[in-house]
Amino acid sequence: MTPQSAPMGMFCRIYAALLYAYPRDFRLQYGIAMQQVFRDRCRDVVRTPGRLPMLRFAIHLAADWLATTVRENATAVWSAGRKQTPRNFVTEWAVTIAIYLFATTTLVQAYVVPTGSMESTIRVGDHMLVDRVTFADPGTVARHILPYRQPARGDIVAFLYPEDIRQTYVKRVIGLPGDRIRLDKQQVIRNGSRLIEPYTQHIATYPDAYRDNFPLSPDLNTTPRGRDMFEHHVRNGEVIVPADMLFVLGDNRENSEDSRYWGFVPRRYVVGKPLFVYWSYDAPTADLQAWTLNHVLDVAQHFFTRTRWERTLLVPRSQPAQEAGGVR
Amino acid sequence: MTKPQSPDEKPRSPQELLPLTPPVFHILLALAGEERHGYGIMQDVARQTGDRLQLGPGTLYGCLKRMLAARLVEESDERPDPALDDERRRYYRMTMLGKRVVRAEAQRLAGAVMAANARLAGGNI
Repeated sequence: MTPQSAPMGMFCRIYAALLYAYPRDFRLQYGIAMQQVFRDRCRDVVRTPGRLPMLRFAIHLAADWLATTVRENATAVWSAGRKQTPRNFVTEWAVTIAIYLFATTTLVQAYVVPTGSMESTIRVGDHMLVDRVTFADPGTVARHILPYRQPARGDIVAFLYPEDIRQTYVKRVIGLPGDRIRLDKQQVIRNGSRLIEPYTQHIATYPDAYRDNFPLSPDLNTTPRGRDMFEHHVRNGEVIVPADMLFVLGDNRENSEDSRYWGFVPRRYVVGKPLFVYWSYDAPTADLQAWTLNHVLDVAQHFFTRTRWERTLLVPRSQPAQEAGGVR
Repeated sequence: MTKPQSPDEKPRSPQELLPLTPPVFHILLALAGEERHGYGIMQDVARQTGDRLQLGPGTLYGCLKRMLAARLVEESDERPDPALDDERRRYYRMTMLGKRVVRAEAQRLAGAVMAANARLAGGNI
């Protein structure tokens, strides 16, 4: 990334938008200078190699923004007690709160992984921040100012589970629209090429012809969407991904309920891209789905021993699989 | 007849402003030698503290705002920095009061360090 590259321009515009959370007077007086400082610092950070400095900068900046917006707004209200009309600081706080809500609901979302279908890339109990901008629906206005792109093969995506959109799943994109997919002895063959996927884990507890040689023999476990895929999108023993759909698989290939069982993920169900793990806690699946009293007690007792410290700030990588060549 | 002074113009003793918060102390130190712009201050503070204190833009300008109000620093002029780009940047410099305050704070800290050394010298800790 060169210092004048497009992402940096976008970061600067995002930062400029975040400045609206400061009180108006403060923003008018120092906003320009703060943007300059942000750009200077950004330029230095992108020059340092590796992703860690970038991540550290982003976290530090978010903390600084949160702490100082609260402080400056509180100061503004305090001094306004004498000088301003009450209406002014009510509107200022309203704007600040609106921007907090925008940032927490539109830009990122916290998400906990309850199942092991992406082991060992992502583990049960990983609490992650999901970037909601990168794969945001192309219809939004934000498309033109935010770093937007289409999901690619090998990307890890968070999406609404098509059979029950109250649940969010995380899987890896294997097929884009038009791709031909099949599995042969647990290995994916995409458009006639066998994929080498170093990120997968193969632990088969029992043989399953459907799972390992998809889609040769129909399975009884498939859902209506899965059967629809089977009836309408299989040609010559291969699934063909239709337009505006994605074919996704879990990295824990033999222990994953994925597109093989419930069909394609509509493009518009994609929520975002996992950014990093902020807390990884070793707990059973049931406890992670809701905060029960038992889970609270468990965390209180075992926070230090069951937290997987080494996973903190881990970035799940997108990784395009290599194609080993034709197998026709 | 003398003109009544507004509370803001009353000359203040440096002691009233102590102790300084770490960001304010290091910003003053950064401006001790020369006038700097915002990013210059940020880089110098990181250098002084071996990267332990990295000021964010909000912290930096929040402190500068309060320091300007307390007359510890003042704005110099706006000019481009030849080392960066050709954008104009606002430079800041330390006032006489700022110089007295940072000196008093350094003395206070030196006193604290001496007291600590005297207590710890016994080897009980």
